[in-house]
Amino acid sequence: MNLGLLFRDELKGFYKSKVMLTLWVGLPVLTLIIYFASPTNQGISLASFTAVIIGSIGGMLSAAMLVSSIISEKSRHVYDIFIIRPVKRSDIVLSKFLATYVCVTTAGIIALVIGILFDLVRNGSLQGDILSVSFNALIMAASMTAIACSAGVLIGFLANSMLTGIILVLYGANQLSVVAALPGLLLPNEPLLPLIPGIAVTVVLLAITIKMFDRKQL
Amino acid sequence: MNGEDKDPRFLEIDSVTKKYGDFVALSDVSFSIRSGEIFGYIGPNGSGKTTTIKVLVGLLTDFEGDVRFQGRSIRNNRMMINKELGYLPQNIGFQEWRTVDHALTTFGRLSGISERELDSHIRRALERVGILDLRRKKINQLSGGTIQKVGMAQAILHQPSVLILDEPMAGLDPTARFEFKRIFQELRKEGSTIFFSSHILNDVQDLADQIGFLAYGRLGYLGSMAEIEERVRVPKQIEFVLGTGSGPWTDPGPGDGVEMVGNPEPGRYIVCLSPKADADLVIDAILRDMLAKGCKVHKIAPIVPSLEDIYINYLARVKV
Repeated sequence: MNLGLLFRDELKGFYKSKVMLTLWVGLPVLTLIIYFASPTNQGISLASFTAVIIGSIGGMLSAAMLVSSIISEKSRHVYDIFIIRPVKRSDIVLSKFLATYVCVTTAGIIALVIGILFDLVRNGSLQGDILSVSFNALIMAASMTAIACSAGVLIGFLANSMLTGIILVLYGANQLSVVAALPGLLLPNEPLLPLIPGIAVTVVLLAITIKMFDRKQL
Repeated sequence: MNGEDKDPRFLEIDSVTKKYGDFVALSDVSFSIRSGEIFGYIGPNGSGKTTTIKVLVGLLTDFEGDVRFQGRSIRNNRMMINKELGYLPQNIGFQEWRTVDHALTTFGRLSGISERELDSHIRRALERVGILDLRRKKINQLSGGTIQKVGMAQAILHQPSVLILDEPMAGLDPTARFEFKRIFQELRKEGSTIFFSSHILNDVQDLADQIGFLAYGRLGYLGSMAEIEERVRVPKQIEFVLGTGSGPWTDPGPGDGVEMVGNPEPGRYIVCLSPKADADLVIDAILRDMLAKGCKVHKIAPIVPSLEDIYINYLARVKV
């Protein structure tokens, strides 16, 4: 019950602090600006271009969001008054992960849907296998974002300074999320394959974070 | 709740030692708190007060010894005990986006208050700390003292049987401190057990049924104000004030039962008694001497040591 409550609470926090609005409006707008700013992009569909953008910045964005919010809340002892209640520490970790993941993935889906609709309006129909390309890209982005989110949670609870946290995100979380793309290099025709390393790495990183936070002396 | 109903071991701290590397923050600290009593915890900065509190509330779990709540060890019953616990940390922090109402809604739900009862609990807690009108305000728009009141409201929201408060009145203005003291007394009447640390010794003296002195990680004294006075033995002093128009008293200096006589202002004498002196005999002898020297005596009164006097005396003794 507490996990659901904390998850909704985190989402409400994203909504109230305008993070949700910035992400959901910001990511599609950013994608459109980059797409139209460079004439070389015009040859490819907006949906495909959006998929590339989501894959490249979605993970870093979510990890950075998590690290900054967790380190800031830790330094202000926000978690103390959660932990002294009948709440499992794992629920706090998981709610942070899930809320950020849902928020960033939703922003990616919104951006992708806008891209597909734009292509549809521009061309009158969807050319080639744009839907399957978009779907594959979404699976890849979802896997990479999951790894980056779980790495962000781990770094957030591990690091004590914001600067260290952000450096670790750039060096660690962002690079680690590429693991999701590795199976695709070996078996390019298996679109669901990125989910396996995505889920596996995410579960391992979250388990380490939960174990560590459980033992943390606050 | 009368004295007989009180559980003498409602909260027990049993031989607790906490080390940070080689540094011993708490060394073999033991005491117990009766149900329905207010326990004041005093000690200088770095003495281990906050460490004790963090052990009590479960923020520190890596320590030697045990803490028992109504006989149950916190090591195996943390979730159950947390339902009975209210905690106000020294520096309370809330997420920036929260309103007072939203923060209390979340903490109330996490503490097990049902959706149906939540509103009345929030209203009661905010009324008690005097900020019901700020219910819809964002917490980051409030002053430090008001945030402390929101912190107090979250601590008492679920009507816990034990409240653990770390420097609850630090940073509050005199009016707010008075309100907090009133709240403590009301809660005690309702049967709550309160453990609080403070630097403001007058507050501890006013409120606490039992006082613990902590220094260098060790519990020095433990007991009621009267018991501590007896054990610390601040030198007994008697004040003599002469009436207006009286001539000065030429004191005979140290003598039978008198260690020293001070004269802080004209016509006022402070007589420090030696440890085994009989106060009545000394007063009688000095009074006779004053009258014999033509002095008019306006007032004779014992000087009751304050908790601050006792505390300073205690720290001077334990200082290495």
